[in-house]
Amino acid sequence: MTVSALTRPGERDRLVVKMSEVDWLFALALCLIAGAGALMMFSIAGSSWEPWAAKHLTRFALCFVLMIGLAMIDLRVWFAISYPLYGIGLLLLVAVEVAGDVRMGAQRWLAFGPFSFQPSEIMKLGIVLALARFYHGISADNARLSWWLLVPAAMIAAPTVLVMHQPDLGTAMLIAMTGVAIVVLAGLSWRIILAGVAAFVVAVPPLVMFVLHDYQRKRVLTFLDPESDPSGSGYHILQSKIALGSGGFFGKGYGLGSQSQLNFLPEKQTDFIFATLAEEFGFLGCFSILFLYGAVIFMALRTSALAHSHFGRLSAAGTTATFALYVLINGAMVMGLAPVVGVPMPLLSYGGTVMLTVMIGFGLVQAVRVHRYSEVTSGKGALM
Amino acid sequence: MAEPSIFFSEVNERQGVFHRRMFLLGGIAGLGLGALGARLAHLQIIETQRYEKLSASNQFNFRLVPPPRGLIVDRNGAILASNRPNFRLLVTREDNSTDVEGTLKTLSTFVPLDEARQLRLIKDIRQTPKRVPVSVFEDMSWDEFSAINIRAPELPGVTADMGEVRVYPHGGAFAHVIGYVAKVNKEDLTPTGPNSDPILLNPGFRIGRQGVEKAFDLDLRGKAGARKVEVDANGREVRQDEAGDIPSTPGKRIELTLDVDIQNRALEVMGDESGAIVMMDCRNGDLLCMASSPSFDANRFVKGLSGPEYRALAQYERKPLLDKVMTGTYPPGSTFKPTVALAALTAGIDPEVRVHCSGGWYWGGRTWRCWKPGGHGSQNMHDAIKNSCDVYFYQTALRMGPDPIAKTAHAMGFGQIFDIGIPGQKKGVVGSREWKRKAVKREPVWQPGDSVSYGIGQGYVAVNALQLAVMTARLANGKKALNPRLIKSVGGVERPHGDAVPDLPFTKEQLDYVRGGMVAVANDTGGTAYRQSQLGLGDIQMAGKTGTAQVRSYAGLASRSSAGVTWRLKDHNLFVAFAPVDDPRYAVAVIVEHGGLGGATAGAPRAREVMRVALMKDPELRSRIETPMPMPEAPEPLEAEGVAPEAPTITAAPAAPSTAPAASTTPTGGAI
Repeated sequence: MTVSALTRPGERDRLVVKMSEVDWLFALALCLIAGAGALMMFSIAGSSWEPWAAKHLTRFALCFVLMIGLAMIDLRVWFAISYPLYGIGLLLLVAVEVAGDVRMGAQRWLAFGPFSFQPSEIMKLGIVLALARFYHGISADNARLSWWLLVPAAMIAAPTVLVMHQPDLGTAMLIAMTGVAIVVLAGLSWRIILAGVAAFVVAVPPLVMFVLHDYQRKRVLTFLDPESDPSGSGYHILQSKIALGSGGFFGKGYGLGSQSQLNFLPEKQTDFIFATLAEEFGFLGCFSILFLYGAVIFMALRTSALAHSHFGRLSAAGTTATFALYVLINGAMVMGLAPVVGVPMPLLSYGGTVMLTVMIGFGLVQAVRVHRYSEVTSGKGALM
Repeated sequence: MAEPSIFFSEVNERQGVFHRRMFLLGGIAGLGLGALGARLAHLQIIETQRYEKLSASNQFNFRLVPPPRGLIVDRNGAILASNRPNFRLLVTREDNSTDVEGTLKTLSTFVPLDEARQLRLIKDIRQTPKRVPVSVFEDMSWDEFSAINIRAPELPGVTADMGEVRVYPHGGAFAHVIGYVAKVNKEDLTPTGPNSDPILLNPGFRIGRQGVEKAFDLDLRGKAGARKVEVDANGREVRQDEAGDIPSTPGKRIELTLDVDIQNRALEVMGDESGAIVMMDCRNGDLLCMASSPSFDANRFVKGLSGPEYRALAQYERKPLLDKVMTGTYPPGSTFKPTVALAALTAGIDPEVRVHCSGGWYWGGRTWRCWKPGGHGSQNMHDAIKNSCDVYFYQTALRMGPDPIAKTAHAMGFGQIFDIGIPGQKKGVVGSREWKRKAVKREPVWQPGDSVSYGIGQGYVAVNALQLAVMTARLANGKKALNPRLIKSVGGVERPHGDAVPDLPFTKEQLDYVRGGMVAVANDTGGTAYRQSQLGLGDIQMAGKTGTAQVRSYAGLASRSSAGVTWRLKDHNLFVAFAPVDDPRYAVAVIVEHGGLGGATAGAPRAREVMRVALMKDPELRSRIETPMPMPEAPEPLEAEGVAPEAPTITAAPAAPSTAPAASTTPTGGAI
């Protein structure tokens, strides 16, 4: 297919063309990461597909199909549903506050018959789409510094406060930081950014002491001095560091990680799967996985740069920011550089909800890529 | 919301800002990943050795292996305390969520665990630190053991293993000397010293509670070994690494001077009676027998005694838990007379000066009765010992006063505690003027009347069975102030003999004279224990001295006879003896609590039986016994043999000797 052929009207709407426009190298990187996750799950289950590895692969396959499917959806449809999705997400967060299930001490879940899910996951996508749509509609000057900026501030604050109250510090932080990343990408004044950073630095210590729940505060304090309580809250960090460090350069060998195989490592198949991998495959394995994550982030950002619409740019970059934050927070936590917050390593960790959220996000990124030439407006000629 | 208008220039400006900011944030993300990579390199390349060590200390664990407790054997190597294998059932609390109740309920289908025991165990397990196993059942059968081992994977926190348990093959025979081991209490654990050893927390570990087991606990314990095992995060064993095991050092072997056969015979002849038998080797001080009766089965204490069982032992009026050899003190009665006689000889009293006994002696405003209502007639010292004449010793003691008697008594071993390696001895009392001034506050002055009763071993004098045996052995030895020895060797290191001591402060003639009296007691037809002292072992003869220690006041009683009096009020019956008379080797002291009047009835037959075992076990004496005796020349021995049959006269319920039922109003009675 020649480039000129693509300029024919309607040519880009053909399914075959759309499929060819998907970033397949990007898709391969995702498969490799998910495959590495399944490999580790197989190992720590004692060379067994049950209970994690098979399920992980099945879920990934379904999510992968979903991602390709979502990539086919016109960017104008994404544009149209962005505010409604954000609104529904906010409503569900309120509903969770009122009628949610309490599981493991936190009120996060909403039950619909046999299904239950966390509305905060919808919000991770909702905040990206809603902010992208908002910035799509305002000028660079307004995005830099104007009273209009109170709107995105409120859009970020509302879900953040609700999720924090559940309490789910990890997700709240993720939503807030994703939102801030989009605001910065849209062109916020440097003065505001610096003032914000300064305010953050000043505000964090009192926030930690007075606003956080006891267990959250304990995690933060333990992080600062993990060896102070090696059998209590410092246990996670210490055991994770032992797993990483004892892996050495080449690792202990597949299926031979004593820390994970003998259950010293907590949450070995979910939040701490990176430590499992580090123990068995050493620095080489870890570096390879980090490289894959870097490649995924790079390719997703390149996609966002290619988009012609501001909505496309911001939504793709915002999704990528969420993903990058997942990777960095989990990585830092596993390596003892950050407090233990319940943030998994995306695609590598076992767990359906986060995988679904991330893959829907990448569906959006691929939709931006496939439809990068689309004109997106909210005025006349809009799809909806 | 009204959308603000957008112009092309602004669109381009927005794109430019976005690209710049994207590069910036992308760069920050890249830096973040780079930082993670650097951290990885630091942990996995630079610090890897440190974490490898930590990982290994997670993965491998040393499990303490209790050392086999040292054996305790008698002088011939016969085992008195050893260990036998024991299949135990252990439950470990892995964390606070462990369902202890459920686990015990499940276990009760395999082994008998009733509700009450389950409740007690739940409390025990709760109080024990996490991951320290608690023994819930001991001595499982092989079937129970294998049934639980097969199902172990489904029973979290449950292990069935093989430990060792202390066993005393002779049951109660040595219970007081050897003591027993029992579970470690919280009070036993100290933050420092030998009792801070973590091995004490091992569920099978037992600590010495009494006697030798307690006194030599540290020697018997040995040193714990360790088993290297691979464990998971819950502390469960995954694999064993036998190459990494550290072997344990068994406890030291302790050899006692006791003799199993003599000790068992002693306990046997005591029957249901309450009392003590102590035998000593007169040549070196080795204790051959230290029996206290009634006894208890030390094996019951190893497992832990049930409440009712313990109460039954503690409340029985014959006090099985009390060691009557060392802890019980008694008035020596007439067994004190050889000591008084020796004191008199030392004080320069001529033994041939005769005293007339008419069955009583009026002195100090009252009549001091002799045990023989009709009186002994004219008595010299030899006769007085032989007949145990009270009047002779009343007068002799009065003449001397208490201090020479006390001096001699101390020289013979009374009123002192011997270092035999185990605690629990009571010193007793040896009266003297100074002693009374200090000890008896309400009447600190020694009255002449005190001397009178002192002369027959009543009043201010109390001794234990061990001291009686030491006195007899010193007298029999005729030279050395022997000390008793119980511990022959510890871990192969011989303990000093009891004969490395100074000589007795008496001349050979003095000692021979007193011994002569004791020979007459047992071998003159008129001696107080003649009938009961015939060994029947060829020409080997025993010498002895009878004694009765008064328990109640005879005042106002029609008869001193113990027949028909409740057990608690009967007199104590004592007997000391040594044999053979021509070459003394063994000395024995017998106390039969509330055995009735007259040392010959309850004490002497028992002493004779125990002595026979000791003599026949001695190879030299045995060959002497087995050589045919020369034909008797005099008719007397023939008659003697007829009179002293080896009839089982050692049973309890002593028939009182034919003492006349004459009323005696003397407050201080005599002794035989």
